[in-house]
This record gives sequence, structure tokens and C-alpha cells, in this order.
Amino acid sequence: MYVIMVYDVNEKRVAKILKIARKYLKWVQNSVLEGELSPGKYEKLKLEVSRLIDEKEDSVRFYVMDSQKVFNLETLGVEKGEDGFIF
Amino acid sequence: MESVYLFSSGTLKRKANTICLETESGRKYIPVENVMDIKVFGEVDLNKRFLEFLSQKRIPIHFFNREGYYVGTFYPREYLNSGFLILKQAEHYINQEKRMLIAREIVSRSFQNMVDFLKKRKVRADSLTRYKKKAEEASNVSELMGIEGNAREEYYSMIDSLVSDERFRIEKRTRRPPKNFANTLISFGNSLLYTTVLSLIYQTHLDPRIGYLHETNFRRFSLNLDIAELFKPAVVDRLFLNLVNTRQINEKHFDEISEGLMLNDEGKSLFVKNYEQALRETVFHKKLNRYVSMRSLIKMELHKLEKHLIGEQVFGSEE
Repeated sequence: MYVIMVYDVNEKRVAKILKIARKYLKWVQNSVLEGELSPGKYEKLKLEVSRLIDEKEDSVRFYVMDSQKVFNLETLGVEKGEDGFIF
Repeated sequence: MESVYLFSSGTLKRKANTICLETESGRKYIPVENVMDIKVFGEVDLNKRFLEFLSQKRIPIHFFNREGYYVGTFYPREYLNSGFLILKQAEHYINQEKRMLIAREIVSRSFQNMVDFLKKRKVRADSLTRYKKKAEEASNVSELMGIEGNAREEYYSMIDSLVSDERFRIEKRTRRPPKNFANTLISFGNSLLYTTVLSLIYQTHLDPRIGYLHETNFRRFSLNLDIAELFKPAVVDRLFLNLVNTRQINEKHFDEISEGLMLNDEGKSLFVKNYEQALRETVFHKKLNRYVSMRSLIKMELHKLEKHLIGEQVFGSEE
């Protein structure tokens, strides 16, 4: 499945969230990461995130889709992240 | 799970529990949990700590030299160990009859795949069918290898008839170094496929050192070469035809080296991009009643071999 993760958390935890998310997904722009993920890995990611955040003030959203094919992506301005896995 | 390809030069590091590539243009993070293997083409520095990390995350890393030849693999400590299966693998190698059964199956199936590949493109492949019969009658492995070589030569000449630009014909298979455009592309594609199969073998209980068609010896992995035979037409040869006939690849993508040719970085990364796409492409699998990717098909082939070795199901019996 394809997952887009978006987060808005207290400044103290921003860096920590980013570190967790980067293990599973590719960075796209500030506070947004996305990528193909197996259901098991997705659960692991959610678990790690939920252990860290403060449920009263932080918000993390996951857009979960069957594949990358089900949506169209349009970008205006700069493409900040890398495309694909060829560096 | 993704394959990571590195063409740029820099340092590979473990950082914040994930993979970090530091280059002149900045730091790039690679999601470690989603990496199947890493293929390195550029001049990359790395340290033991990084290899330890890969080992822990079960990620093999393959190295290629400037010419695009395979150099070697850091094959992490195996995590799926089965003494039982290793014994079975050895048993099927040592017993001539059992070994021939597997080798013959690989050869005749790879012939079938060549025939299918040509038929789809409306090329008559009667002579290959003849070779298939010969292979079924072969009595030892070296005879089988000989037949395989002859058939492949004929097969490549038939592929040539599908190449519109005659500068890109194979003519004669040359290696180390390949001498013309076509041979360079096919050699590069084959070595990519070998490493992909090796990475997939790592995810099974199979030992890549014991092959059946290719001699098991002191040098290197051979099981991946066996399994790759089955997929050369559908992955490498198809990619070759597409790239050449759509003129995506041209003489600008090659550099001359002593006595031969090599793909330059631009050529390599164009090839790799299309190679990845080819592995992702799905075909309809009748038995499973769903679409499966090329990569999963390779994995399924390995599982079939595993089942054959432990005596659950004869290799190539179903469908």
C-alpha cells in the first residue's frame, strides 16, 4: 500500500517524529513523507509514532491508499524531495 | 520493498537509525525499513558500522565497478537458516540424476520462455523447439550447457531480426569486455538480474552457493545464475529491445574502453530506471487469479525450487 504521512506536532517533538518517519518513508517536504509500505511495516510505524506523540496537542495523519496509481499528483513550485530510489 | 541504486559519489552512513547518503549536494535519507537491497555503481565510502547496520536490517549490498561489471556482494549473516534444506540442496547436487532433473527443467523452461518471447513478436522459433527436445534427452550437465549455449546463440540471432537499427544488433555474443552496443546492454542487464535474484535468494532458506545448471565451485554464487536463466527473456531481452527500438538509448550513452565498450553513467541510470520498471510490471497469474509483479514471479520460482528440494512438489510439475 501507499502511505502519505502528514504531521503537526509540538516543536519539541518535530525532530523526533521526523527521525522515526524517515526509517519508513521518503521525505517530500516539511512535515510530509510518503512511500510504498507493507501493512506490517505500517503498523510498526504507527506504533512508534503513537509512543512518542502527546495525544492532547499533536496531530499525525496517514493517507492510506492501495497504490500510487489511485491518485494524481501535481506540484507547483519546487520539488523538494527525491524521486525514486536512484541516487 | 525497494532496490536502491547509487550512482553519485559520497558517503553511506548510519544516521538516526536509517541510511543516509552524504554527497556534495547534501544529505539524503533512505527509508531503511523499505529497502530490499542496495546496488552501488558510484564511488561510495562506507564503514563497518554501516555494514553492521545492514546486517541487522538484512539488506545485501552489491558492488559494481566503473565498467558496470559485478564486483561482489556483502551478503549479511543469514537469518533464515535451515540445516535440513542445505543437506537437501547438496543431496540434489551430488546425485547426478537429481541434479539433471533440476538442470534440465531450468534449461527447457528457459527455452520455452525464449520461444514465447519470440512468438509474441511474431518470429518463428521452430529451431528452438528442437533444442528443447535435445535438452530433454541430454545425459549430463556439460552436454546440457553446450546445448544451452548453441540455442542461445541462435536465439540472439533471431532477436537481431527484431532490432530496427542495425548498429544495435547483437551479431555475436562478446563478453568482458562486450564489443558492441547490444552486447554491452545485455551484459549489463544480465548482471543486474543476477544480483536481483541473489537478493531474493537471501530472503529464502536456499543457499546461493549451490547451483544445479551452473557448476558449484569455490568462486561464487551460482544458484542465482540458474534462476536468472528463466527470466532473461522477459526482463533483460525485452528491456533491450524496448530501449533500442524506441531509440531511448543511443551511441551517446556509451564510452569506449580498451578493446570494448561500456555504458556511461547516463546510460547506466537510464537502463536501471527501465529495469526497475520492468521488475515492477505485473502479469496475470492464472493459478493465483491475480496480478503479480515480475519480482514476485522470481520469488515464487525460488519457493518452487525449495518445495522440490524438500520433496513437497516436483519442480515444474504444476500449472
